[in-house]
Amino acid sequence: MAMAVPSTVSDPSVRSAIARLSREFPDLGPDPIVLVVRTCREELRGSPDGALPELVERLARQRLRVSLD
Amino acid sequence: MGYVDVSAVRHTLSDGRVLLDDVSFRVGEGARAALVGENGAGKTTLLRIIAGDLTPEAGSIARTGGLGVMRQFIGSVRDDTTVQRMLVDLSPPAVREAWDAVEATELALMETDDERSQMAYADALAQWGDAGGYDAEVTWDTVTVAALGVPYERCKYRELSTLSGGEQKRLALEALLRGPDEVLLLDEPDNYLDVPGKRWLEERLLETRKTVLFVSHDRELLARVADRVVTVEGGTAWVHGGGFASYHDARTARHERLAELRRRWDEEHQRLIDLVRTLQQQAANSPDMANRYHAMQTRLAKFEAAGPPPERPPEQKVAMRLRGGRTGVRAVTAEQLELTGLMQPFDLEIFYGDRVGVLGANGAGKSHFLRLLAGQTVAHTGDWRLGARVVPGFFAQTHAHPEWQDRTPVDLLWHGEPGRPGLDRGRAMAALRRYGLAGAGEQPFRTMSGGQQARFQILLLEMSGSTLLLLDEPTDNLDVLSAEALEEALAAFDGTVLAVTHDRWFARSFDRFVVFGADGRVYESAEPVFDETRVQRAR
Repeated sequence: MAMAVPSTVSDPSVRSAIARLSREFPDLGPDPIVLVVRTCREELRGSPDGALPELVERLARQRLRVSLD
Repeated sequence: MGYVDVSAVRHTLSDGRVLLDDVSFRVGEGARAALVGENGAGKTTLLRIIAGDLTPEAGSIARTGGLGVMRQFIGSVRDDTTVQRMLVDLSPPAVREAWDAVEATELALMETDDERSQMAYADALAQWGDAGGYDAEVTWDTVTVAALGVPYERCKYRELSTLSGGEQKRLALEALLRGPDEVLLLDEPDNYLDVPGKRWLEERLLETRKTVLFVSHDRELLARVADRVVTVEGGTAWVHGGGFASYHDARTARHERLAELRRRWDEEHQRLIDLVRTLQQQAANSPDMANRYHAMQTRLAKFEAAGPPPERPPEQKVAMRLRGGRTGVRAVTAEQLELTGLMQPFDLEIFYGDRVGVLGANGAGKSHFLRLLAGQTVAHTGDWRLGARVVPGFFAQTHAHPEWQDRTPVDLLWHGEPGRPGLDRGRAMAALRRYGLAGAGEQPFRTMSGGQQARFQILLLEMSGSTLLLLDEPTDNLDVLSAEALEEALAAFDGTVLAVTHDRWFARSFDRFVVFGADGRVYESAEPVFDETRVQRAR
């Protein structure tokens, strides 16, 4: 049986992270931020639902910072 | 459902003494077995072996179903352990490990907030979920609401030391009874519980479908709950397949049978020795008898090699001689006495020779009242006084004597203290022997078992010449036999006794009862009152 993977576009953890990180990193433009956040969301797929928004946002922020260094 | 199968277990103490040998028994699925025995017989050691804390020198333990263990010290936790930590510790190993990983990664994340530690944290949280951690937290919420009346989120960081002994026990029991483990080992689960708490425990143990092996000295609890009794005595264990009601008879019958088997063995042994001697003489005169002589020698050697049957276990003899002495007629008088913030003012007169049970709700001030009469500083208003020649002697509930911890009983008896003359070594040892403490005379107080410490405290009361005994839960750590010895000693004591107790069996030996109600009212009763609810305080 194939596991159903939730759509990341409507995922609140993705939406809130994109909104906040876009304000934090205005120079990067929306596309890289969306890509990084969605990748992080996919990689953190096994994490508990309640913890996801914080985990996704932290990891994405970390990766965006590293990309600017 | 789970079971425990103990097979031929042997354990030797560090001094070379064999504490347990050839211990075998089975606690089958859904059984409620009591583990009884004298103080120091090895009950706690046996529980630790079953729990896997100790590896037996020989033999094995087989069990199925998860194992939940409640240690004896729960109820007297005074360090900074939190409610959350205790609930984690009582959880199955997978939950404990997942929790430790979450804590470790959280700490790492605080120190270095990089991608690696974030992924480790996410991974730990995922494992927490997989191990059933979130389900456990839901259970913990039910547990804290049931035991403390507050949700888990509000009390998880609370230190256990701020909870009463009864609250600590109840929290642990709720967690184990509602948890997933199918076999429960409970070391004195009823200690520190008030009587409603004990009745609650009895009901819960009777209704649970889990397999339970518990240590208890509470005769009422044993009689109601246990459907079989495992006795540790004489260095081994045996099982009585019935309840506590028929236990005394079964034990007496077993002891008589052992004594009879031993007597028969000794007789047969002597007969064989005599035969060997006779044949030896005959063989010296007649070579024909030499073969019979050698055959008999071999038979004797085989008989001796097989060894005698186990000896009848020695009966523990505890002889307490609480003397007391004649005092004024009014031993204690209290007028409009109120321990600040604990109760409404009350009047009380206790007369020489009275046996007063002090009963009532946990937290209602019973122990404080005894401490006040013992001469300790307790905030109060109103008046109280002791009568002529009334010398109070106080037995403390939690054995809180930090100054005794590193001293030995012989040393404490030898030095004496104000109001208690010192004893020379010979008399000190004789007194310790009467209390079944001769073997513990030279070991530091802190290494003695709870029951040994309790008996030693009663010995000090005997030595101090007290005429008013103030006893705070004296039977809590005493085995059944020692508790019966204390009851006999109190019956023969010439003086006045006030005892705070939750021991329903013990309370029957008193003739007056002062009840500290949950509503702050202090009143007298001719019959024991055990259903005062606990005092509700803001948390």
